[in-house]
Amino acid sequence: MTDRSYFGEFELMILLAVIHLGEEAYGVPISRKLEAHRGRNVSVGSVYAALERLEAKGLVSSTLGDPTPERGGKAKRYFRVTRAGLRQVHETRRVLSRLWHALPELKPELKEDSV
Amino acid sequence: MNRTAPPSAATWMLEHWTPGDCDEALAGDLLEEFRNGRTTAWYRRQVFSAIGFGWVREIVNRRAVLLFAALWSMLAPGWVLIVAGLSQRFELNARILSLEFPWSTLCDLGLMLAANLLFIWAGILVYLIPHLWLRRSLRVRPLGQGILASIPVLLAVWVALIVLPKQFLHTAAGSGPSLAPVPAYTITRLNPTEVRHVTPEQTWDVRYGDKPVATSINDPRTAIADMRKSALLVRLPFLLCVLCTLWGVTSRFRRRPQGMIT
Repeated sequence: MTDRSYFGEFELMILLAVIHLGEEAYGVPISRKLEAHRGRNVSVGSVYAALERLEAKGLVSSTLGDPTPERGGKAKRYFRVTRAGLRQVHETRRVLSRLWHALPELKPELKEDSV
Repeated sequence: MNRTAPPSAATWMLEHWTPGDCDEALAGDLLEEFRNGRTTAWYRRQVFSAIGFGWVREIVNRRAVLLFAALWSMLAPGWVLIVAGLSQRFELNARILSLEFPWSTLCDLGLMLAANLLFIWAGILVYLIPHLWLRRSLRVRPLGQGILASIPVLLAVWVALIVLPKQFLHTAAGSGPSLAPVPAYTITRLNPTEVRHVTPEQTWDVRYGDKPVATSINDPRTAIADMRKSALLVRLPFLLCVLCTLWGVTSRFRRRPQGMIT
């Protein structure tokens, strides 16, 4: 394992959403994707707070797009995952997969609860 | 309501109550979602949430300032006693009282203000010197602005302490009216025997809830550890003043994320 610190669950979800959205990753689609997968409302402010933390860690970078009329002349801020971010996502996936595989078989009642 | 225009009050709050630079991209995202059919209640919730997250981020970013302001203000009662001790030693109060009004009042307030500002400015310098040394550059303008900002902040906190709680209008020592918690504190610490002669309805218990210790303790070192309500109130103006001043100065040190709108 590298000496980098792990990120939280929400930050990991945001990173995955940014990777999935590719060139179209800005606040609105990121929030919508999180809402769709989590099944509950997401605060856009919390998404930006997490993205700023990730940017401070060098895991994402951002650029400003052109202002558009439907946004009241306000520009979109596009995010993309950096090389370091990708590396850390892969590392986290590897660790989590190994942990999951190391788990014993779930009991039937737990399986029913999760369905 | 016009569906293309979100609630103006909420938009105003987003622009003015979010600490630091207002994130234009966030405001644009909320507007875009609102125009795509989100409700007014959703927009308001998002604005409150954005303001809350903004303040949490601001406080986390400035935790060093918060810690330093708390530690520096802990020293304030000790400093107040040192100043009061010097004033007694050189009989400054008697000299000031011998002046005609309004010079006596002006000198009294001026000396108190100068002594307190000296302590606050020293704290600001103690905090900033390591930053400036690490960056190898002295940015005089933000430093000067921060130091100058401490004067109105201190005056505002004093006025608030004078105007709002009535207990600061008179000292418990019965030695005349006092216009700030600082002289009230020094009187009870430096002239403790006078506290015993307070009339029952004027007792410290009624006013402050804490009982002053009637001893000759006026050592600044013991005052630093004083945790009574009166000592905490003495620390309050210094805490707020150092905090407000460094809050503005440190924002200039913060690394701005790429793509942030200025």
